[in-house]
Amino acid sequence: MRRWVLAVIAANVAVLVALAAIYPHLMLSPGVLVAGHAELATDCFACHSPWHGADSRRCMQCHALADIGLRTTRGVPVSRRDVNASFHQELIEQDCRACHSDHQGRQPIQRSRKPFSHGLLRPAVRERCESCHAAPADIIHRDLSLGCRQCHQPDHWKPATFDHARLARTVLDRCESCHRSPNDSLHRQISGNCRRCHSPERWKPATFEHDKLFVLDRDHNTKCATCHTSDDYSRYTCYGCHEHRPDRVRAEHVEEGIRDFEDCVKCHRSASEEPERHGSREGRERDRD
Amino acid sequence: MEAKLLRREVLPFLLSFSALAAVALLFDALLHFLNAVWIGRYLGIPGTLIILGSFGYSLRKRKVIRSGNPVQWLRLHERMAWLGSLLVLVHAGIHFNAILGWLAVWAMLINVGSGLTGKFLLERSRRRLNAAQQKMRQQGLSAEELAERLYWDSLTFDVVKQWRLVHLPITLAFAVLATAHIIAIFLFWSWK
Repeated sequence: MRRWVLAVIAANVAVLVALAAIYPHLMLSPGVLVAGHAELATDCFACHSPWHGADSRRCMQCHALADIGLRTTRGVPVSRRDVNASFHQELIEQDCRACHSDHQGRQPIQRSRKPFSHGLLRPAVRERCESCHAAPADIIHRDLSLGCRQCHQPDHWKPATFDHARLARTVLDRCESCHRSPNDSLHRQISGNCRRCHSPERWKPATFEHDKLFVLDRDHNTKCATCHTSDDYSRYTCYGCHEHRPDRVRAEHVEEGIRDFEDCVKCHRSASEEPERHGSREGRERDRD
Repeated sequence: MEAKLLRREVLPFLLSFSALAAVALLFDALLHFLNAVWIGRYLGIPGTLIILGSFGYSLRKRKVIRSGNPVQWLRLHERMAWLGSLLVLVHAGIHFNAILGWLAVWAMLINVGSGLTGKFLLERSRRRLNAAQQKMRQQGLSAEELAERLYWDSLTFDVVKQWRLVHLPITLAFAVLATAHIIAIFLFWSWK
C-alpha cells in the first residue's frame, strides 16, 4: 500500500482521537443529557466506568436511595409534591436504567422515557395506591372509599370499570351529586329521581313510555306539571282543563252507572279513542294494565 | 448510446443503492411497528461481522486465500457487503446523535456507492473483453478457466485500476471510523 495512504489514515486516527477527547459530548454521546446532568456533558466517566458502562451503583453515589424524592443531591428538601418520587425506596430492584435514560435530550418527551411499571414495586406498596398517588378531587371520586383497583388497573388509569353498585345507597339515590341533569325540554321539567326512568347501569334505554299509559296527542302535548302536579310522576290529575271539571266528569260517569272514575287512564288510554273497558258499575277494583 | 448507458449502468447502480435505503427504511419501520427497536441496536454486530466476512474477497484477490473462483468471491463480496451495510443502516436508524457514528455510517454509504461503481466498471471492462473472449474460446479454454482469465484481465484496465485507488482508501476510512465507534461502545456501553 502506498505510504501516503497510510500517512493519511494515521493522521485521521490521530484527529479522531483528539476530537473524541476534547468534544466527547459531540463525538461519542448518543444524545444530549437531561437538564439535571448538563454539567456532566463533557465528563463521560462521571457515570460510565471504562469498559463496564454506567450502572446503578454509580448513580447512587450521587443519588442516595434514601433521599430520592425527598432531598436533592445537595441535601435541599424537595418542595415539589405533585409527583411523589419517594416510591424509589420501595422498588423490588434498584436498577436505575430500567426507567431512566439520561441521553434522551434536555426535555425528555413521553416517548423517549422508558415506561414505568408498577410491577417493579414491592407487592405491599403496589396495593397502596395512595402511598404515591393523591386521590382525585373530582365529584366522582369524592364519595368513594373503595380501593382504586376496584375500578382502575395499575398499568392505566383509563379506561376504568365503574360500577354504581359499589356506591353507598345514600349516594346512589342522588344521581345529581355526580351527573348534571340533561338540559332538553323533557328533562328540564323533571326534578324527581332519575331512576324512575333510567337504570344505574346505563342511561339508555330509558323506560319512559308515556303512550303505554296515556297517549300525549296534540291536545295533550303539554308540560308535565300540568297533569303531574307534584314531583311524584306516579300520580296525576286530569282535572283543571276545559271540560275535565270534577262535577262534569262525575255527572257523566254516574249517568253511565260508573262509580270508580278517579283513575281516568284506567279506561281512557287516549283522548281520541273509546274507553278500553267500562268503569266499575259495581265498584270492582280493576287492574290498570 | 446514451439510452444504453442509462439502462445498462446508471439505472442498475441507482436501483441497487436505493434498494438498500428502501429495505433499511422498511426494516426500521417494521421494528418500530413491532415495538422491537432494541433489536436494531444489536444488528450492528452481525452487520459488522458480515462486512468483515466480505473482505474474504480482498484476501483472495491478494492471494492470501488461494482457493475458490475469484468471480464467485467477488459476487459473495458484493452480496455480503450489501447485506452487512443494510444491517448497519438499520442499526444506525435515523438518529442524529454522536458525530463519530454518523461519520462511520456516511463512510459506509460512500463505500457502498464506490463498490457499486466498481461493479459496473468491471462489467464494462468485461464487455470490452468480449472480443478477446471469443479468441480464447477458440483456443479451447474451459468456461471456468475463461471466466477467471477474464476477471484478472479486467483488473488491468486503467479505469478499474484508478477506481481501486479510490475504493481502497474509502474502505480504510470506513474501517477506521467503524473501529473508533466500536471501541467507544466497548468503552462506555454496559452490556448487562
